Amino acid sequence: MRDLFRFLHRIRSTLMFLGWLILSFVLLYNGNEHHRAHAISSSNSMVGTVLSWRKEVTDYANLKEVNRALAEENAAWRNRHISTYTPVEGLFARIQDTIRRQEYRVITAKVVNSTWHKQKNHITLDKGTKAGIHGDMGVIGPEGIVGVVRDASANFAAVISVLNPDIKTSVQMRRTGHFGLLFWDTNDPLTSSVIDIAKHARIAVGDTVETRGGDGIFPAGVTVGVVETVEDEPGSNYHTITIRLCEDMTRGGFVYVVDDLRRMERDTLQQANTP
Amino acid sequence: MIGTILSHIIRFFALILLQVLVLDHLDVLNGLMVPYLYVLFLLMLPFELPAWAQLAIGAVTGLVLDVFASTPGMHMSACVVMMYARLWVLRLLAPREGYEFGSRPTVAHMGFPWYVTYAGLLILLHHLWLFFIELHRFDAFFGTFFRAFLSAGFTFALCLLAQFLTSGKDREHR
Repeated sequence: MRDLFRFLHRIRSTLMFLGWLILSFVLLYNGNEHHRAHAISSSNSMVGTVLSWRKEVTDYANLKEVNRALAEENAAWRNRHISTYTPVEGLFARIQDTIRRQEYRVITAKVVNSTWHKQKNHITLDKGTKAGIHGDMGVIGPEGIVGVVRDASANFAAVISVLNPDIKTSVQMRRTGHFGLLFWDTNDPLTSSVIDIAKHARIAVGDTVETRGGDGIFPAGVTVGVVETVEDEPGSNYHTITIRLCEDMTRGGFVYVVDDLRRMERDTLQQANTP
Repeated sequence: MIGTILSHIIRFFALILLQVLVLDHLDVLNGLMVPYLYVLFLLMLPFELPAWAQLAIGAVTGLVLDVFASTPGMHMSACVVMMYARLWVLRLLAPREGYEFGSRPTVAHMGFPWYVTYAGLLILLHHLWLFFIELHRFDAFFGTFFRAFLSAGFTFALCLLAQFLTSGKDREHR
């Protein structure tokens, strides 16, 4: 018995090492999932504050680019504004619109921190639950989709970027309607893959890929990217498709968080019907 | 003594902030090389520190980096592995009569050849571990190895640079 204790005492630093290593692996395997590690994520308010210091400095350098993008977007909206249209016939008074109802609401937020050169990339936004952001909301940029909110604190939100193999987004081809999953395995911030599209689908280079919607995260029809290569490997039933992402993920700036107004209703119904 | 502890604490905060605010966003050659200069804090811990403290400081440092990078456990495991290896490397590289009291693991105190072996081995181990844990698979083995190797070289160069830039201050503390 004493020999055992002496032995344990002699290898105490190795035992301690193994203890720490096991602890870190527990974190590694549990912490990366949704909603688990609130404390260990960049939505933690102290961490968000430190990261926003950096953003305050780099914002000045990007002002020109941000202004240009905002001006372009303003112009696009202005083109759709009522004042740019002349009535073709007489005016109609709109009393109550029963043909359309609002399905999505967008919340603007600023990117305070983002990575794009890692194997798993994350983004931190400067708005959180106070602005109505909560987990599993889609994030889109001016050009295309950006990511999915993983977790939100009062003033910050942690977003899993589309440049992260942890999320797969349901997408479809705008031209043919074939749907598959967007999965980032290219390790290149400008491109991504679309998997699970069967070989009989005729996909051409240059086809537009858009979100499929219906998952309560992204609205249907948001641009994702343009098909760059289509390869058919022998022995697989699926195309190997590489697309070029429309949104430049290496750029910061403003993004829109999508709030699905009927999310609650849909989720309750789906949960009640799953066995 | 208090001054030494204070300088370690200041170095901890300075290097962590430098890492998360600047170096993590430094994309040399499209992210081919990512320097992790914060390991310099761990490399500069005193020789006399007991093993349990070295491991605990390594784990906490890694965890702080993980919180900023949203990668729970990744930096932590790499730091713990590095600190455990440091115990062995220090034992192997010890002079015959042991480390002189008051000497510290820096270029100025231990000489350049000693430092290349010590820091080179540990930084390379840390980076290899980190890059392979990050990738989570072994299929792109040589590409990842190459990236880890380049990044380790970059980190090592920054470590030397940081020491030359602050060496004047170090001599005053002695």
